[in-house]
Amino acid sequence: MEKIILDCDPGHDDAIAILLAAGNPNIELLGITTVAGNQTLPKVTRNALAICAAAGIEVPVAAGASVPLVTPQVVAEDIHGDTGLDGPVLPEPTFELDPRHAVDFIIETVMSHEPKTVHLVPVGPLTNIALAMRKEPAIIDRVKSVILMGGSYTRGNSTVCAEFNIYVDPEAAEAVFRGAWDVTMVGLDLTHQALATAELQDRVRAIGGDLAQFVLDIWGFVGSAYKKVYEFDYPPVHDAVCVAALADPQLLTCAKAFVTVELHGQWTKGMTVANFADVPGMHHGSSEGLPMGAATTDVAMKLDWDRFADLVVDSISALAASKGQ
Amino acid sequence: MENLILDCDPGHDDAVAILLAAGNPQLNLLGITTVAGNQTLEKVTRNALAVCAKAGIRVPVAAGAERPLVREQLIAGEIHGASGLDGPVLPEPAFDLDPRPAAQFIVDTVMTQPAGTVHLVPIGPLTNIALAMRLEPRLVSRVKSVVLMGGAVGVYGRTPVTEFNIQADPEAAAAVFEAGWPITMVPLDLTYQALATDEVLARIGAEGGELGTFVVEMLTFFGNQYRKERGLPAAPVHDPCAVAKLIDPAVFTSRPAFVAVELTGTWTWGQTVTDYRGQLGRPHNAEVADRLDTVRFWDLVTDAIVHLHNS
Repeated sequence: MEKIILDCDPGHDDAIAILLAAGNPNIELLGITTVAGNQTLPKVTRNALAICAAAGIEVPVAAGASVPLVTPQVVAEDIHGDTGLDGPVLPEPTFELDPRHAVDFIIETVMSHEPKTVHLVPVGPLTNIALAMRKEPAIIDRVKSVILMGGSYTRGNSTVCAEFNIYVDPEAAEAVFRGAWDVTMVGLDLTHQALATAELQDRVRAIGGDLAQFVLDIWGFVGSAYKKVYEFDYPPVHDAVCVAALADPQLLTCAKAFVTVELHGQWTKGMTVANFADVPGMHHGSSEGLPMGAATTDVAMKLDWDRFADLVVDSISALAASKGQ
Repeated sequence: MENLILDCDPGHDDAVAILLAAGNPQLNLLGITTVAGNQTLEKVTRNALAVCAKAGIRVPVAAGAERPLVREQLIAGEIHGASGLDGPVLPEPAFDLDPRPAAQFIVDTVMTQPAGTVHLVPIGPLTNIALAMRLEPRLVSRVKSVVLMGGAVGVYGRTPVTEFNIQADPEAAAAVFEAGWPITMVPLDLTYQALATDEVLARIGAEGGELGTFVVEMLTFFGNQYRKERGLPAAPVHDPCAVAKLIDPAVFTSRPAFVAVELTGTWTWGQTVTDYRGQLGRPHNAEVADRLDTVRFWDLVTDAIVHLHNS
């Protein structure tokens, strides 16, 4: 059983991450924290509560940072719509927010559990995580791992070179990558393998009931957006991969790399630059002005899609069953 | 028949590009210009003359810029060795350099040939090309095209996000991409398909006589460096890919894109940011090579070596 705090900005793929975290028997979801990202903080926080209501999830939800550390705010309305979760009918929240700021919730939760027992799973901009590690540096040693959705070593989406979560708060991301904790980067290279294909959607449809329909409505909207904006046939379920990887250690194939965030480029700000330790053709020595650090980040490279699809379907089935559907 | 000026920094793959440009009957090599890059200007210029001597090539050779426009000089000694062309025994030059600086040679040659008849094929840092276009702005509308080896889209060389030729003089490269002339960019993504496998080398050695042996010696050294430094199975023979395009436009496919050269990034300076999808809202400024017909390519290279050997 892996304990996690899911830090998110729902967001269509965030919603699936929440369902997976709450519905998988190998995951204990200690709480959900929200951060401005795909939409503004009030919107993503409301969406997190709505997802919990739709799925019958009762865990603490704490709202966090409303703007990035330094860089002016950007949201992803083109993909996630005006509400941040356009598509499904969103139910009214069934419980109140935790009164604490997300940063305090993260710190108190990590510090009140045994060392090396809590994973942080940030699937939005890394603002809350960076703030928490600065406010209470002891969490860096104490968390079991950080498995984040963000970045890439071959592509961007917000810009030609940069992935949204890193692009939105690159300074926070660099702080997290430089932290002396175990970080796994699940970037676009990986999540573009995690598509909600027709097969996966059919399997969810077969579950039946309101929750399955909620998920199909999510993929219906974001699938159209991905078709229009990126010419994808099916939408990637980015964020759910991080949770799935904790539920099933065999889900991902990773390679060690030094990962750093470009903070100054005119065209490349927010890009993750990865120097792999031993991937042929992808290792580079230090050179003038570019002192390569140690390859400490696990970079996800290959997804076992069948196992991923099983985890998604099973978690939705489990939540639907416990709702009595 | 296509006219070209080959601007290079030999360099192992540059040497093969020279052989292809001089040995293919459909190309008219108007001259070779050299630029500091894979090694210092003095070394690469000597290497250009040595390759000409070895292959019996008689064209003007003009030496160019000895350093980049703005940045500190980079060289690629880890790949090309101390001489810039380690491996084979290099013969003494058989003729003298053209007295003009390369940029002047480029300007004079392009302006004296009919408009729209000369291709520039820069396969090193773009210093000479940027200097020539500032020396004579009419150059931009007068050349037929620029086919350059440089840059990277998703396959990287010197650093996790850059290719050597562009990074060695990014300001010059930015000027070339912004000039508004027809550019074909031949990036690492394409040239990493041009691998000098054992099979390729065996054929060149068997068919190319003494010159073939020279090429095999060069590319054997080059392959060992790539295996050691980059973990690749064989050497990518980058530069002749650009030359091959002028012989056979079908040797590779390409896609239009807007290419920006990153000048300000801490980690990314020298990166060719390649926007195929119009995300940056800028008009396309280059055709970016993406898929090589490797059979056709190695046929062209081998035939040129055989042709030079026989003549």
